[in-house]
Amino acid sequence: MKNDTNSDSSKPKKRRRDEEIEAESSSSDQENLTFSDTLVALRIMRAQFPHIDKVSIRPFILQSQLYSSVNDRTQVDRELESLRRERVLRVFKLNTGQDDHAIMFLDDYLNQIECVVKRMEEKKQVNLEVFEWFQTHVLDSKLEPSVGHEELCSLLSIVGKVKDEHISLLINAGILTRQLIDPDMYWFAIPNIGSVLKGLSQGRKEIISFLNRRKYKEMMLALLEKKHLRFSPLDMRFHLRDLIGSGHLKTIHTPTGLVVQISKD
Amino acid sequence: MWKDIGGREAGQIRPNSFANRVKSHRLSTLQLSNYKDIVSPHKGSINSLQVDLTEERYLLSGASDSSVAVYDVQRATDYEGGGHIAKHRSVFVVDKQHEHGHKYAISSAIWYPVDTGLFVTGSYDHYVKVWDTNCTRVVMNFKMPGKVYRTAMSPLAASHMLIAAGTEDVQVRLCDIASGAISQTLSGHRDGIMTVEWSTSSEWILVTGGCDGAIRFWDIRRAGCFRVLDQSQSQLGRRPPLLKRKVSISKSLSAGQNSSVKPRAPQKRSANGNGVRQSSVGRIPAKGSVRQRLHPGMLSSQDRATAHYGAVTGLKVTEDGMYLLSAGSDSRIRLWDVESGRNTLVNFETVRLQTSKPIQLATTQDPAVVFVPCMTAVKAFDIWSGKTCLTFRGHYEHVNCCCFSSQDQELYTGGNDRQILVWCPSRLISDGVDAGPMQDQDNWSD
Repeated sequence: MKNDTNSDSSKPKKRRRDEEIEAESSSSDQENLTFSDTLVALRIMRAQFPHIDKVSIRPFILQSQLYSSVNDRTQVDRELESLRRERVLRVFKLNTGQDDHAIMFLDDYLNQIECVVKRMEEKKQVNLEVFEWFQTHVLDSKLEPSVGHEELCSLLSIVGKVKDEHISLLINAGILTRQLIDPDMYWFAIPNIGSVLKGLSQGRKEIISFLNRRKYKEMMLALLEKKHLRFSPLDMRFHLRDLIGSGHLKTIHTPTGLVVQISKD
Repeated sequence: MWKDIGGREAGQIRPNSFANRVKSHRLSTLQLSNYKDIVSPHKGSINSLQVDLTEERYLLSGASDSSVAVYDVQRATDYEGGGHIAKHRSVFVVDKQHEHGHKYAISSAIWYPVDTGLFVTGSYDHYVKVWDTNCTRVVMNFKMPGKVYRTAMSPLAASHMLIAAGTEDVQVRLCDIASGAISQTLSGHRDGIMTVEWSTSSEWILVTGGCDGAIRFWDIRRAGCFRVLDQSQSQLGRRPPLLKRKVSISKSLSAGQNSSVKPRAPQKRSANGNGVRQSSVGRIPAKGSVRQRLHPGMLSSQDRATAHYGAVTGLKVTEDGMYLLSAGSDSRIRLWDVESGRNTLVNFETVRLQTSKPIQLATTQDPAVVFVPCMTAVKAFDIWSGKTCLTFRGHYEHVNCCCFSSQDQELYTGGNDRQILVWCPSRLISDGVDAGPMQDQDNWSD
C-alpha cells in the first residue's frame, strides 16, 4: 500500500508524518505493509486513519484490517485477546454485516465519551452522573463487547440508584446499543459512529461492484488506490485492507506489481 | 519412503511415528481420485455421509429425495476404462417407494456404532427410523415434534442404546432402541437444534449446537446441561496455563450478585459472563417481574451465552475427546478445549459457510487436519494454526457433508449436485497403465 508515497503531494504535512512512522517499521516498499506485531499494526493504522470533516470521531481499526496486515491470524486473535485483558484497547461488535469488529484504544474511547458528555452538558441534560458511573464501574470490569441488562443495572447501582432514564441516556448517547441477536443484551458501541458505518458499507459495495463490472474482475493495486470513493468518507486504503482481510478480495503477485481480484468462494 | 522403511526395520523410527509419517504424507497428496468412483443413485442433494465405524468398509448416504444408499468402498462392483477405474455402485437403495420409507428429505443417516446390522435415519418428515440392513425393513419408528436435523449415537456406549435427535423443537430427545420409546428430553436451548454429537471420551456426555448460537454439554444421567460454551471465554493456547486455572471467576461478579450455592458440587463450572451463580432458592429472571422457583438442574436455561453469532451448523469432537470444533452461520469455525470449556482462539480462514443446512465436518485421527465444506469447495485446515492446507474443488454446487476414512486416508464428500466424490492420495502410476498391449513399437512408430 505504499506505492503512492512519491506521487501524492496534496497533503504534504500529513504524508510526511505518515512516512516517518511508516518508514521505521515497514519491511518492503512494494508489497502490502505487513507487520510482525499486532500492536505495531494497530498503532500504525491508527495513525493512518483518514480525517473526516463533519464528524468528530477518534480513530478505530477494523479487525479484518488486522488480518490483512499480519500474516498469522491466530496470532492476531491471541494478541488482541491479551491486549484486551490488559485494558489497552476495547473491541466493539458492529452491526454492518457478519462478524465485524472495531478496535479502539482505550484512551481514544474515553476521549470520545468525554466529547459526547460535553455536548450533552451544553444541551442541559440531567442525570449526567451516569456517565461517570459507567466509566468507573462498567468499563473497568466488563471487558467483553456486550453486557446483559441485569448485570448492567447491578454494576451501575453500586454507586447510586439506577433508573430507566439513566440507561436511556446511555443509549441516546450512543454508548450502548441493542442488536437483533438478543433482546436482553446491550452492546458497547462507539458514539457518533453511525455515519461512518454507513459510509463503510457503501464504500465496500462500491468497490466490489466496481471490480465486478470489469472484464476480469481485477485491477492493479496501484491504480485502484488512486481512485476516489464517492459514497464513503473513509479512504481507499482503509477499505482495501478491510476487504482483503475479510476475504472478499485477494491480492496476486504479478511481474508488474500487485493485482487485486474479487475472490470467488 | 524406502529410507523410512529401512529406519523402521532397524528400529530407529518407532512404529507409531512411522505410521503417522506415512499417513500424513498420503494426506498431503489428497486429490480427486482418478481410479475410484462412487456412482450415486440419488436424485436429490446428499445431506449425510458416514462410513461404518467397525471396518470402515460401507458408506451410508442420505439424500433429499428420501433415499438412503449403502456402498462398499473397498470392493468395486465393476471396472471401467480398461480395468483402471473402479466403479462402486450401491449395494442397495431405499427410497420413497419403500412401504415404510421416509416421505421427505433425509437429513441424517448413521450406522449403529456396534455393527452394520442396523442404521438410523432422521428426516424432515418428523420421523426417526431404525432399519435392519440385511432385510431393509424398518424396525422402529420414533415420532418427533418437528423436522429432524441430526441424529447421533454414541460410539462408546456400552450400557445404553440411545439415539440423540436434534429437531426444530427446542428440546433434544433421546430415543431408546431397547425399549422403543423416547426416554429423555433435554431442555435448555432457546431455538431449534441443528447438530448433536456424542463425546468421544465418555458415553454419557452429549454436545448439542442450536440455532440460537449456543453449544451445550449435557450429562444424560442428570437434568440440565452442565456447561454452555461462551465465545468470550478464551484461553491463549491449546491448554489453559496451569497457574491461571483457579482464577476462572469473571471480574464482573461484584457485590451485586447473590452468593452462589452450587447445585452440583463436584462438577467444575467454567465462568460465564452472565451470572449462572444464583442461589438455588429463587432468582429474578431477566424480565424483572416474577420470582420463579427453578430446579437446580434448570438454572442453565437462564444462561444465554453464545458460541457463535448465529446458528451453530456443525460440530465435531476430536477422536481423543479433548477438543471440539464448531462451525457457525457467522462463517466462523472455533476450536474449543473441552476440559476447560474455553475458546482457543484459533482463527480458521473461512470466508463464507453455508447457513441454512447443517454441515458435517471431518477430522483426521490424531487431530491434525479438519475438513470443512465451504460452499462449493472443501477446505482442509491445519487444526492448530488455522491455515488452509488443501482446497478440494470438484463439486458443482454446495457441499453438505464430508467423511474421512482414517484407515485408507480417503475423503468422501457429498453435495447439492447429487454426487459423492472420492478424494484419494495420488497413486504411483504402475508400468503399463496407459500403454496398450505390448507391441512391436518404439518411439518412432506410427
